[in-house]
Amino acid sequence: MKRIAFLIVILSAFGISSAVAQELSPERKQAIDSLALEKIRDLSKYISIIGSKETPWSEANRVIDRADELFMQGSEIGVSSLVRPEISYYTVRKYFERLMRLNYNKVEISWYNIEYVSDLQRQPDGTYVGVITIFQKFKGYDAEGRLVYQDTTKKDITVYVKRKETQIGGRLIGFWDVLLGDIRVKETSK
Amino acid sequence: MVLLVATILIGGATSCKSKKKLAKEKAAAEYALKVDQAKKDLTAIIDGSTSWTSAQMEERLAKIKSFNIDDEDVKSLIEQAEAKIEDVKAAEIRKAEEERLSREEEARRRAQQSEFAVVDNQFMAVASANGIDDANNKIRMALKYFETPDIPVLIIISQSGGFNDYDRPTTISKFLNYLKDKKDYKYRVVSAKRNSMDKITELELIVK
Repeated sequence: MKRIAFLIVILSAFGISSAVAQELSPERKQAIDSLALEKIRDLSKYISIIGSKETPWSEANRVIDRADELFMQGSEIGVSSLVRPEISYYTVRKYFERLMRLNYNKVEISWYNIEYVSDLQRQPDGTYVGVITIFQKFKGYDAEGRLVYQDTTKKDITVYVKRKETQIGGRLIGFWDVLLGDIRVKETSK
Repeated sequence: MVLLVATILIGGATSCKSKKKLAKEKAAAEYALKVDQAKKDLTAIIDGSTSWTSAQMEERLAKIKSFNIDDEDVKSLIEQAEAKIEDVKAAEIRKAEEERLSREEEARRRAQQSEFAVVDNQFMAVASANGIDDANNKIRMALKYFETPDIPVLIIISQSGGFNDYDRPTTISKFLNYLKDKKDYKYRVVSAKRNSMDKITELELIVK
């Protein structure tokens, strides 16, 4: 019993010291803040490429794979509409596949005002978690080029940033893995 | 007649005596001036209020020492000035070494920049391609510089405390497609490993 208690004390002390050792300098924190924002901008770009009717099918599928890699497994994306009160949630891949097949002749999707609503905060397991809000402007056109639907949606995206290591060319590389969680619809307006 | 001769002789002697006195006074005044100037120069060396180099300081100190000024203040100032000159010389050597290292680093950086300019230009060409087909052609051209489309690409997001923070590692193929999608190249190649065929086997970039 004493041995177990001793082991727990040692492990706790190690945990505390490693947590202290991992406290980030403001410069490094700023770098991972920017990295997470950049991943959101990447997603924004991917969504506009996947949604565009001008994107060839093979390209759209390649981009779906890249966009999918941005998310944690099991994440969901909310979809709202001005003509439906409820918000539907889809798995990431399902969302992109639906986006690719939207029933418009031309689709324009743009994201703007991308910013943190909740700064990245370090969790006990070392993961940094934050929430980034974005505004999405959606425009759908018919075959005659008429704008038939448009809305603006405010969405919250949970961001997880975790320090990981990998071996590359015999070197141990420490990197920051940014993964996006659920995308929740907060407001939808015309 | 006798009186005249005596007057001339006495007058001449008096004049000679006064000339000697004047010369002595002049010498004393010059010496005082020299001592005063020596003190001023030594003080300037000690408190660093002069823009002289260490060589100029040594030259001035040698000159002052050659005067053999018998003054306790001057002697003390000479000792302090000698110590100060040693400090200045050490600082000059340090500065020269820092400048040499800085020049070497700059030369190395420029050499690397020109070494990687070809790769950076390929990446910029993909990012600024005119449509998907053009971008794909440029990706095919860029891939010729790499051993395989799967060679690792490491992206440094910050350099702090002597080590690098990286983004999730990717492959050159995915990175080139990323540039095609983003239409923006905001990185700089900082290192590349090559095989015996001069093809790149590992690439390291930094966010600009």
